[in-house]
Amino acid sequence: MTTAPLVGGDATIRFVDVRKRYGRRVVLDGISLEVARGGRLGLIGPAATGKSVLCKLACGLEEPDGGTIQVLAESVVGRREADLGPLRRRIGMLFQNYALFDFLTVEQNVAFPLEQRGGMTADAIAERVAERLRAVGLAGSERKLTAELSGGMKKRVGIARATVADAELVIYDEPSAGLDPVTTQKIYDLLAADQERTRATVLAVSSDVVALARFVDEIAFLYHGKITYRGPAATIADAPDPLVRQFVRGDLEGPLEERGAEAAT
Amino acid sequence: MTVAGFLTTRITALGAAVLAATRAGVELWLVYVSTIAGIVRGFSRKNRRNRGELARQLHAVGNKSLVFIIVTLGFIGMVMTYQACLQLGRVTGDYSQVGSQFLRLIVSDFGPTLTGLMLATRVGAGIAAEIGSMKVTEQIDALRMSGVLPIDHLIVPRFVACVVMTLALSVIGSLVMYGAGGLTAQYSFGVNPHTFYDLSFIRPRHVVLMVVKALAYGAAIPIVAGFCGLRARGSSEGVGWATTAAVIGGSFAVIVLDFIISAAALFVTGGDL
Repeated sequence: MTTAPLVGGDATIRFVDVRKRYGRRVVLDGISLEVARGGRLGLIGPAATGKSVLCKLACGLEEPDGGTIQVLAESVVGRREADLGPLRRRIGMLFQNYALFDFLTVEQNVAFPLEQRGGMTADAIAERVAERLRAVGLAGSERKLTAELSGGMKKRVGIARATVADAELVIYDEPSAGLDPVTTQKIYDLLAADQERTRATVLAVSSDVVALARFVDEIAFLYHGKITYRGPAATIADAPDPLVRQFVRGDLEGPLEERGAEAAT
Repeated sequence: MTVAGFLTTRITALGAAVLAATRAGVELWLVYVSTIAGIVRGFSRKNRRNRGELARQLHAVGNKSLVFIIVTLGFIGMVMTYQACLQLGRVTGDYSQVGSQFLRLIVSDFGPTLTGLMLATRVGAGIAAEIGSMKVTEQIDALRMSGVLPIDHLIVPRFVACVVMTLALSVIGSLVMYGAGGLTAQYSFGVNPHTFYDLSFIRPRHVVLMVVKALAYGAAIPIVAGFCGLRARGSSEGVGWATTAAVIGGSFAVIVLDFIISAAALFVTGGDL
C-alpha cells in the first residue's frame, strides 16, 4: 500500500485523523489528507465509501466523530452554524444530486450565492449569471424552473452556481455524472479554465476516472474508510497499488473484488 | 435466550428509546429557540426577500386554508348544535341557553382548537413535506453553503404566517361555526335566532383565552412540522415519515396545549370561566 503523502505548508484543506461513522458503519476511519492552495485533487473510490461525506465534512455540513479539519485556514469542527456562514461563502460546492432550489428559476439558482454574499448590484449579478450560464451552455434557459430540466442540464446549473462567486475553494461531487462524453470534456475544460483564472483550490470526486485524471494534478483513492493511495493523476492507470489499478481499469478480477467479498462476509 | 439476556435486550432498547426521545425533545426546543432568534434577526436586517416570502406564506397558510376551515368548522357547528338541541329536547325541552352556552364554548375552546387541529393537518403536512423534500434533496445543504441559516429562511416566515393566520382563521371559523349552529337550531328545532345569538355570557376573559390558544397553536404547528421536516432522512420514504410525524405531532401539540392553557385559565380565574 502506498501511504498518502501530505502536501506541506500552505494547505487549503487539511484533514487530520478524521473519523466518521453512521450507526455501527464506519465510513471514514482516521483520514489524513491535505490539498495545497491552488491545487487540484481528485478523489476516487468504490461506491458508498464516503467520498461525498468527506466533501461535506470539508464544508462543515457534517460533523466528524473525531479528528480535526481545517479549511481556508479555519477550523470547521465544533463551530456554530451561524459562525460557518462567512467561511462557506468562500467555498463553491457542486452537490452529487444537484441540490438546485426547486422554487427558483435557473437564473435565480445561479444568482443565489451572489445575492446572499451581498456587495454586488443587481445588474452586476445578472451579468455574471448570464456569463456563467453561457459558459455551461445554458443560455436561453434562464427562466426555466429546475423541474423542466434534464439531469445533465441540472448538473450544469449546479456547476454554474458553484463557480459563480469565484470561490477560493471549489468542491465538485461527481461533476460529470449524467453528462455525455462530449459535454463531459467541455465541462472539464471549463472547470480547468476557471481554476486557472481564479487559482482556486479544487477537490473533485468522480467515477469517470479518465476525464477526472485530465483535470486534476493528483488523485487519492478512498477505500474502506482510508486513503490507501495518492499519486499523480497522469499515471493513475499504472499506479503501483493493485487496488487502484484494478479500480481505474475496471478489471473484474483482482484484490478489490477479494476485499469486497471479505467485507461482505 | 436466557431471562437475563431477554431483560438486558429490553432494557437496552428502552434506554435507547428514552435517549432518542430526549434528543428529539432537545432538538425541538432548539428549533423553537432558533426560530425566535431568527425573528429578531429578521427585524434587525429588514431583509426584503424574507418579506416577500412572508407574504407568500401568509397567503399559503391563510387564504388557501380559508375554505377548508369554513367548511369543516361550519359542519362541526351544525352537528354540535343539532346534538345539543336533540339531547336538550329529550331532557328539558328548553332551548333558551343553547346559543349563549355554545358561543362560550366556541370562543373559549372549540373555535381555536378545531381550527388548530385542521391547520395541523393541512398546513403542518405541507410544511413538513416541503422542508423534508428539501432536506433529502440536499437543498438545505445548498442553502447552508450560501451562508443562509435554514431556520431563518424556511421556518421563520412559516412561523410568523401561522401565528397570524391561526388567530385570523380561529375568529373566522368561530363565526362560521356559530352562524351554522344558529341556522341548524332555527330550521331543525325552531329556536328563535334572537334567543340563539345571545352574547351576554361572553366575557373578555373568554376572548383572551381564544387569542392565547390561537397564538400558541399557531406557534406550535410550524415548529413541530419544521422540526419533522428537518429530521427527514433518505428519500421519499423519509419525507412520508416526516409528513406523518408532523400531522400526529402537530395535532398532539394542539390538544396538549389546549389542556394546559385551559387548566391555567381555570387556575388564574379561580374556576370562574
